Amino acid sequence: MVTPAMSKGVDLLPLATLCAASGLGTVLSRAPPGRLDPLLAWCAPSWTRPLGCGEAGVDLLPLVSSAELRVIALAVIVALFGLAAGTPLGAAAALARGRVERTVERLCDLVQAFPSFILALAVLSAVRAPSRLHIGAVFALTAWAPFTRLALAQTRVLRDATFVEAAIALGSSPASVLVRHIAPNLIGVAAVQLGSTAGAVVVSEAALAFVGLGPQGGISLGAVLDQGVAGMLRAPHVLGVGAAAVFATSCAMLIAGQFFTSPNRKPGSA
Amino acid sequence: MHRKVGNLLRAGRVVLTGIVESVAVVLALASLVFLALRELPGDPARLVLGDEANAIDLALVRAQLHLDEPLLVQYARFVRGLCVLNLGDSFRRPGTAAMARVGSALVPTAQLAGLSVLMGTLIGIAAATAASGPWFLPRVRVGIERFLLGLAAAPLVAFAPAVTWLLAVRLRIAPLPGDPDAGAGGLLFASALLAAPLSAHVGRVARAALVEVGREPFLTVATAKGGPPLRVWIVHALPAVAGPIVTVVAAQLGALLGGAVVLERLFERWGLGMLILEAYSTRDLPVLEGAVVAAGLLFIAVQGLAGALHAWIDPRVRSARW
Repeated sequence: MVTPAMSKGVDLLPLATLCAASGLGTVLSRAPPGRLDPLLAWCAPSWTRPLGCGEAGVDLLPLVSSAELRVIALAVIVALFGLAAGTPLGAAAALARGRVERTVERLCDLVQAFPSFILALAVLSAVRAPSRLHIGAVFALTAWAPFTRLALAQTRVLRDATFVEAAIALGSSPASVLVRHIAPNLIGVAAVQLGSTAGAVVVSEAALAFVGLGPQGGISLGAVLDQGVAGMLRAPHVLGVGAAAVFATSCAMLIAGQFFTSPNRKPGSA
Repeated sequence: MHRKVGNLLRAGRVVLTGIVESVAVVLALASLVFLALRELPGDPARLVLGDEANAIDLALVRAQLHLDEPLLVQYARFVRGLCVLNLGDSFRRPGTAAMARVGSALVPTAQLAGLSVLMGTLIGIAAATAASGPWFLPRVRVGIERFLLGLAAAPLVAFAPAVTWLLAVRLRIAPLPGDPDAGAGGLLFASALLAAPLSAHVGRVARAALVEVGREPFLTVATAKGGPPLRVWIVHALPAVAGPIVTVVAAQLGALLGGAVVLERLFERWGLGMLILEAYSTRDLPVLEGAVVAAGLLFIAVQGLAGALHAWIDPRVRSARW
């Protein structure tokens, strides 16, 4: 019999498998990620090098494995930051009502729709060689907006609930209402967004590295894709590995995000 | 008469608020980039010239960028430059205004993005019509819906190179990346790739809206009057879902511009993305600032256009009853 807890755990399975496979790939590979062996440039997958080699003979298995682990860590941190920063802002704006509420809502609209990739390019040009920390900080500039929007919508419903009215009537301060009554009912709803934000970070990091603004050392899935495009004619496996890794990681993030959806809100369920 | 004047005043206020908001957004963005380039640790002059630069060259660049002035004076100069759309000369091409370079790069990007919006919207609407109209079996409709969901979740940076390999290298029906003779075929192929995620988003939103509209009495009336299903769909149902479609296109525009940068890099096409990458690698600060401001202006112009288009297509918005 499948219990709800088990069926929820299944949502985390792809991400866990990916992390385990990447960890195993990092441990089992003999060479450190990024080591070059020019004699083996663009070599096809073999028993000794299961994913083959890329430009200048870089072994793809340790490169992809460690890039996966790093981008997953980055995506989770940025998504959690978005949750921690965006949710209180949305809740506070909805409780304040009026002009503050409208301004925050409009700000979310603009941040969500703005070409943030171009903004990231411009901001990253202020540092000489962007590190993963810089890239994470640039993503965090816009990661809060979807959480704020969700918190705004949910707090609009909650602020008129009888238990909130009762707390206000009993003399609770707005801060105490926010912390004790609104926040517990908000976290579950806002957490649903974690998966899509983390997935978007994975894709954006790959896109930045693809256009040449990746983290130092070239350990990124986007750098593998870039090599794949350069060697498209002689070694299509590099492109295949890069595309599959980006696709699998972003999908695993999206599916893991379903973990936070309550069973009756899950798409496809009754 | 009074009502007309009132409506006019209200419309004026809406337009004025929109303009003030847009100006504030562009100013905030430009200020963010300005501050990032000057206030983050590291000397911008050294960023431009590299570590090996001698003191005379560094002093020259600092003077050219006005970095030797107080920050407030620099900022005032920057804002004035924004107002007259003149952010100084490009560093790498002395004598060419930064905004002129941005302007010349905007044209190919606008072509790519414009064609993608057109293709994405048309394909999305066609898919939504097929998935919600009475023409196909329910199983086919569910299939189309699932395909749209998968396409919307597929990252462009992963599938664009993979599809390019399949069509250009294996099947040889599309031009190879960087092919100088690709011409219109190259533009069409790149636009189609960029349009794919947009069409999935448009298709999903339009399908949901069309299912809602499909239950409305005005469609029953139109069908009862003897209109053929396709005509009823095009004349009555589609204009009623124009709002969500225009909104989703406007909301996806940011992602589309980001995707355009990736595709320009993939196909080695000249445009705003390549200009930004070139300005990034050579630290051409005036061009970088100009490019972000231009992207912001383009974005706001399209958002405004989307609102106007919505009002023009949807009779409910046009008559201002809603």
